Amino acid sequence: MTAENMYEIQEVRGQLASAASSEVIIDLNKVNKWYGTFHVLKDIDLTVHKGERIVVCGPSGSGKSTLIRCINHLEEHQEGDIVVDGITLDQNLKNIDHIRTEVGMVFQSFNLFPHLTILENLTMGPIWVRKLPKVEAQEIAMKYLERVKIPEQADKYPGQLSGGQQQRVAIARSLCMNPKIMLFDEPTSALDPEMIKEVLDVMVELADTGMTMIVVTHEMGFAKIVADRVIFMDEGDIVEQNEPFEFFKNPQHDRTKQFLSQIL
Amino acid sequence: MAIVTTEQTSPREAPLSERSIVGWVHKNLFSSVLNSILTIISLYVVYITVKGLWVWGIGDAVWIADNRRQCFKISIDGACWAGVIAWLDNIFYGRYPREELWRVNLGAILLFIWMAPLWLPRVKAKIFIGLTTVFLYPFLAGYLFAGGGKDIFMQVMISAAIICLAGNTVHSIIGMITGGSLPEALIRLLGKKDTSEKTQRNILYGILGFSFVMVFLWQLGWSVETVSWTKWGGLFLTLVVSGVGIASALPGGIILALGRRSKLPVIRVLSTAFIELFRSVPLITVLFMATTMFPLFMPEGFVLNKLVQVIIAVCLFNACYMAEHVRAGLQAIPKGQYEGAHTIGLGYWGTMGLIIMPQALKHMIPNIVGSFIGLLKDTTLVSIIGLFDILGMLRSISRDTPWLGLHKEPLIFGAMLFFLVCFAMSKYSRHLEVKLSTDHKQ
Repeated sequence: MTAENMYEIQEVRGQLASAASSEVIIDLNKVNKWYGTFHVLKDIDLTVHKGERIVVCGPSGSGKSTLIRCINHLEEHQEGDIVVDGITLDQNLKNIDHIRTEVGMVFQSFNLFPHLTILENLTMGPIWVRKLPKVEAQEIAMKYLERVKIPEQADKYPGQLSGGQQQRVAIARSLCMNPKIMLFDEPTSALDPEMIKEVLDVMVELADTGMTMIVVTHEMGFAKIVADRVIFMDEGDIVEQNEPFEFFKNPQHDRTKQFLSQIL
Repeated sequence: MAIVTTEQTSPREAPLSERSIVGWVHKNLFSSVLNSILTIISLYVVYITVKGLWVWGIGDAVWIADNRRQCFKISIDGACWAGVIAWLDNIFYGRYPREELWRVNLGAILLFIWMAPLWLPRVKAKIFIGLTTVFLYPFLAGYLFAGGGKDIFMQVMISAAIICLAGNTVHSIIGMITGGSLPEALIRLLGKKDTSEKTQRNILYGILGFSFVMVFLWQLGWSVETVSWTKWGGLFLTLVVSGVGIASALPGGIILALGRRSKLPVIRVLSTAFIELFRSVPLITVLFMATTMFPLFMPEGFVLNKLVQVIIAVCLFNACYMAEHVRAGLQAIPKGQYEGAHTIGLGYWGTMGLIIMPQALKHMIPNIVGSFIGLLKDTTLVSIIGLFDILGMLRSISRDTPWLGLHKEPLIFGAMLFFLVCFAMSKYSRHLEVKLSTDHKQ
């Protein structure tokens, strides 16, 4: 995001009030993960409260994507405990499927289903997983399409939409499952600058509704407005975490200082 | 200094070569002296070939004669199509009893009626129609072709097939006229449109059950005479063997491909071993194994009909080839699609059935149809193990006394038949590809 429109959002909205409650919804305890022999996550401890909005940043290869992908078990961790919404992630497939219905995820590459229309993309989960009648699922889908401001694209195929529109559809697709937590894995990294804003706007609005969100992003303007907490990761460690104002103003650790000086 | 274009450039007409036939001919055929000479030589070669074929096959050909000697008398260097015409019934039906031929024809017509809705644009529930074709039609047709006594299983399957056929047909007609579906129309007809979804469903099940009982009772009253499989032959036999092969190869291939990519080691190893074993052996070997070796391993007195053995061998063989095509298609689907499906909570079967397979199969259409065409042509191998399929029939014309030594014409006729069927399949696959492509249009 350019400095200019980052300013624009702040100007219009100011910082969002925190919606975090005291109820713990995600709890990571001494989580370790290796890709082969490479140690990607090292003793990660993280507690997320209901309604809390967390931005994770850090240089590439620092393990931030891996961290959030462990939360809905797209990646398997080898040591430690991950408890999501009171359910421990283990080998039990039923638990994993259940958690995935409660945790929505948005990817850098959208991952929409190219053979289905936008509306079918959105109703897939509600119809086949939540077992809702088709009409009801379509109503829900249209509701969320309106919320991401592209109801007129419902009958098109993903290939006919711009990147920003596709990403908003992807957000709507996750919301259709009525998740308790939303994970964003660099949602704007694959987008042209003018499309980044439309996606961030949607995310800011979503944050405004009190959704629990964990966002991996380099959009520091977004972090300043939305985040209750910013987490900086490097080489598999959580190096520093703080509320955004302090985080950007007074970074404590040398690595954080270096990172911030590079991206701001 | 800034360079500013003040006037917009207006579009001009394309050059002559892009918009007229004369221009195209000039650009592509006569652009230089050498190209002109090459064009003229090629045209001459085409001319003498076509002319020779025309004179032999149509100009000087004999269409009506009693035997080959008469053919020669009428025209010494023309084709003797009279032999092929005299054997047409044999070529199409083999030695199927002539008074029972209507059964084969009826089977073909039923298949056509069953599958026609798949091509009609406004009909809904095409997947259901396609599935019933694959899983129910074979029972109905099988009984129609083979005849004899029906055991209880066959009776149930035949009744189900008849109901599905009738239902599909009515459904398609309704769909073509109103764009609706059969269940909707039934509910409206009974005036139960305002009742709850559950009542409506129960009414539909009631109608379904009632019609099933009626059809079941009705089919008890008739049966058709047994026609031994040894009498089956010609194009009919070829289409039966390849048809069953085609219908079962895809489901079998999908199961084997999923097995080969499974995370469960036992399933993976078994599927891989099965695929590699069948793929590494020529079809003819598999056919010989099935018909001559297999009975040796069976207990004394265990007699399986040779045709069934051949069909099973063809099915297994082709399922293995298909499995590799499907696997290639699966590998072309990016990992993100699996992740996207997982994050909306779909499990393994939901992900595969709703997200991955539809995309993979779409990518695979050219290969799948290529494989079907290969299968159709490969079935002629069964003539080697003593089944009189179309190739066997075509070759036996030359051993028939009146047409002794007539080789060329029957084989050319066979080639034309095969070309017709295979070319139609290939064209249809191209049409499907275009129709199903959604991801590339911008």
